[in-house]
Amino acid sequence: MRTPEVGVTSESRAPRGTGPYAVITRLDVPASRLPVPAPVPVPETRYIARGPDGDRTVLVSVPLAGADPQRFMVEADASRYLLGPWAYPATDLARPGEAPWHARPYLPALPLPTALAVHGGPLPERTVRALGAALAETLAISHGQNLTHAGVSPAAVLLAVDGPRLTCFGAVRAAAPDGTARTGLPGLDPGSLPPEQASGGRPRPMGDVYALGATLAYAATGTTAPEREELPPALRSVIGRCLARDPGDRPQLAELQESFSPASTSPVATQTASRAAALLGPGWLPARVIAAIAHQSAALLSAEPDSLAPAARTAEPGPIAPAARTQD
Amino acid sequence: MPSPLTHDDPVALGPYRLLARLGSGGMGTVYLGRTARGRTVALKTMHARIAADPDSRTRFRLEVDAARVIGGRYGAQVVDADPHAETPWLATEYVFGPPLDDAVQWNGPLPEASVRALGAALANALGQLHHSDVVHRDLKPSNIMVTAYGPKVIDFGIARAIGDARLTRTGAAVGTPAFMSPEQATGQEHDAAGDVFALAGVLVFAATGHGPFGQGQPADLLYRVRYGEPDLGDVPPALTPLLARCLAKDPGLRPTTSEIASQLHDGSGEFADHLPDAVLSEIGRRASEVWAVTAQRMAAPTEGSPPPAPAEGSRPPAPAKPTPVSRRRLFALGGGVAAGVAAAAGGFWYWRDQSGAGAGPGGQGEYADNGASAKRTTGLAPLWKVSDRNRQHELGPLVPHPVPGTVLMDQGGLAGLAPRTGAAKWGVISGAGSWQYAVANGKVYRIEEPNPDVDQKHPPLAIHSVNSDSGGTLATVARLSDSNGSLRGNQLLCVADEVLYLAVGDGADPPSGAGEFRASQKWTLRAVDGRTGKTLWTRPLPSRRNDSNRLHFLAARVVGNRLITLQEREEGAVRVVLHNTRTGAVSWEAPYSVDDPETVREGISADTSHVYLGAGQLRALRLSDGRQVWSSRPTHGYGETYSPPTLKSGVLYAVVDGAGLVAVDPRSGKQRWAEKSDTPGNAFVTCRPVIGARFAYYKNGVTLRAVSLASHTAARTYVTSGEQFFGDEQNGIVIAVANNYVAAYPLA
Repeated sequence: MRTPEVGVTSESRAPRGTGPYAVITRLDVPASRLPVPAPVPVPETRYIARGPDGDRTVLVSVPLAGADPQRFMVEADASRYLLGPWAYPATDLARPGEAPWHARPYLPALPLPTALAVHGGPLPERTVRALGAALAETLAISHGQNLTHAGVSPAAVLLAVDGPRLTCFGAVRAAAPDGTARTGLPGLDPGSLPPEQASGGRPRPMGDVYALGATLAYAATGTTAPEREELPPALRSVIGRCLARDPGDRPQLAELQESFSPASTSPVATQTASRAAALLGPGWLPARVIAAIAHQSAALLSAEPDSLAPAARTAEPGPIAPAARTQD
Repeated sequence: MPSPLTHDDPVALGPYRLLARLGSGGMGTVYLGRTARGRTVALKTMHARIAADPDSRTRFRLEVDAARVIGGRYGAQVVDADPHAETPWLATEYVFGPPLDDAVQWNGPLPEASVRALGAALANALGQLHHSDVVHRDLKPSNIMVTAYGPKVIDFGIARAIGDARLTRTGAAVGTPAFMSPEQATGQEHDAAGDVFALAGVLVFAATGHGPFGQGQPADLLYRVRYGEPDLGDVPPALTPLLARCLAKDPGLRPTTSEIASQLHDGSGEFADHLPDAVLSEIGRRASEVWAVTAQRMAAPTEGSPPPAPAEGSRPPAPAKPTPVSRRRLFALGGGVAAGVAAAAGGFWYWRDQSGAGAGPGGQGEYADNGASAKRTTGLAPLWKVSDRNRQHELGPLVPHPVPGTVLMDQGGLAGLAPRTGAAKWGVISGAGSWQYAVANGKVYRIEEPNPDVDQKHPPLAIHSVNSDSGGTLATVARLSDSNGSLRGNQLLCVADEVLYLAVGDGADPPSGAGEFRASQKWTLRAVDGRTGKTLWTRPLPSRRNDSNRLHFLAARVVGNRLITLQEREEGAVRVVLHNTRTGAVSWEAPYSVDDPETVREGISADTSHVYLGAGQLRALRLSDGRQVWSSRPTHGYGETYSPPTLKSGVLYAVVDGAGLVAVDPRSGKQRWAEKSDTPGNAFVTCRPVIGARFAYYKNGVTLRAVSLASHTAARTYVTSGEQFFGDEQNGIVIAVANNYVAAYPLA
């Protein structure tokens, strides 16, 4: 049996540019340190940070080096209006003239790639189905608001105990303007980038379906472009169709919701506002993922940032590494 | 479940600002606290009045030492402590995990793999303690938190101190004899092998849902622990031989902790791998829920230091309780009598609720379920709501007194409301707080409020009978000698068999603007014959300090020839005191540990043989001698707090912190049933449930829940921000008293 070791570095030095929030730790484990087959990039740098009153702990994002700060902030601003239980809208933004960042209240959660690392491999089919249903519902709500997410990728999905949270809104639009090829850009995961967007097309709703398929493929296999046989048999067809090159061949979100969350299997669903919620009951997350989320929460409860007044910083802090545990 | 701070909770302990209460018991309260830089901890405290006893303070220090010895791996990591503070405190990490007893109660017995992993880790924990020459002596399911990384043992000294105090007071056994070793049960040395015996009991409980010696009266249990064979019938067969050895009567025959650990588990996998989904889900829920806590404090009286402004929450405080307001608020308008008159001149008004579905509660007499609400079952509107702008009750809370056809309320004076509409039937009679009138057999009595302009300086206390339809005075029942009728601390406790029981003061009026009591005043408890006006007997009451605003009695009732009172002898310390109704002699008295005396104002639950107490543990005391007949297990830091109970048709009902409504057999204390709910929500234990013929009503979150007595599920919910709820069977309504209004809901 293992016991956790608090992975928060007390000598944290925050980078500049997180507004009033003092950085405690990074959210993401660098891809190079994740023992998953195919490392996936993260389109922004995410920190868990704390406000000057000590009461507000937030998840704060800053753009990658070299990114366009203006486009980054435009997407952050639009994300404030996202709705649905698994959206994770920004609630606080950098003021004009300030270095770009955006923040929302912290919730204990693991990025999908970290969850795979903690679990020790691909996630169970039950988890993948629940993710698929919740994310499809979230995207359907966004599309109903005339918002194309354009940023769905494995790193964009956080797993919290009550369901996923979809982040990185607009990452594709922020990475490069429409009309410019988006291949090879830092932060963009090529596996979950729809072909029409990679070639510079304006992100449209069916691109989100492609990206969702790639993300679910990653959850089920550890890679966004698995061989068909690697996928669980029951999910092969639906995920395969999401990944069709022609947007017209991809399934509608309503159909996805139906296939992940068949009405007959969820008697509770008719009584709850959300059908996906019925799939998120006890057992939807593997044991070690819950343990790692609890560990992250405990580590942050006991963490104190070095200084709550952001000052000159030198080194970047390391993440709370769920793998940083010692054998008994 | 974190709940808001009360107004008299400290603002901070050491460097920790207090955010919320995590739980409380007779010995102390556990808080959630935070440093200026945002480190969040659990703060366990001991009540200052208990810490005044050197032995108790020593126990607290020992608890801190033991917590440090066990460390963060098998216990709650100690962060900081000050056992010498006036309110001693211990700061530890906030542990996510249900206590083992809750885990088993909610999810059923644990699978063998969980029991093995749990047992191995607990054996290692005990081994570590024993290695440091510490013996736990009180290992039991409620002291073990099940986290994702293994069990953590909490509560070393305080629970035991509670048990010991009870032992000397009533002769009953220590808290949970079910997990006691035979040597402990016979008063001999309980050493490391005793902990092994207790560990086996805990594992039997985890695997089966019951201890190895069953349940029952402490004396029976202790007998079985000493002489009986453990019941291992439901234990997985592979575990039976080892557990049987651990439960050997001879300590020398029991295995060591390291042998237990190695026999139970090979250490493969992670601890979380062995836990059932429901327990993991609960752990995850607790790990996330704590981030939604924002500092909230119940409103304070205007005296004392103002509470800190609620922290600017980074998320909306949506599901939290609407900040409940202390019922001890001070009268904000100035002199009591003058405001009473103002109220009489139309100072309160009422409105029809418009928030409900459709037409709301309908007009004339439609106060049972009307068509609009029959279709919906959740979020229903009240029947009526009466705003109350001039409420004044610096001394006592607003307690309605129903009679058929009228609800008597303190509306800045005595008012009579129509039960079906909430409309005032007659103008407010000035003065007369809820504690100054009483109802018996439909007859209303009230203490006369002297008119300072007309009456002499110290008018004798007079009691009138009142016509409940008109508010008019029927007769003067009595005028008492040696009394000062203008003291607002005078109380009419109750009326039974035409005898009135009163708390009567004599002496000087308080200076203007001061509290109601003066140390120089003389106070007595009196029985007065309602037919002759003669005083039957008089018993002295302790004097109150200058400026005190604490009434002597919180509640009283007569059962047979006994007057049962909840007396606040010293401020903040409640005692159950029984008087003989013929002589006034005290038959017995016992302490009633309640955190907030206001929570027991609603009444006393008793039958002809017992009085039932809650507000922490649920207990039954024998009326004849005050002996405790049974009790729920001692409250520990986290949860398991009962509301004051309500007795109805031979069943005792109470609300349990974090769980909901339970029905208990008043003879045995055994639970008959518990509310079945997917959403335990946020059950309020600060008021007792109201029981109708078909439903039990209690406050949960922002709703009044009606739980079916047949199906044990919530049949409907009503939106409410009420703080106290009273059943009015005669008029068929539940009366809710909120911060600034009174409302009624159907009682069915």
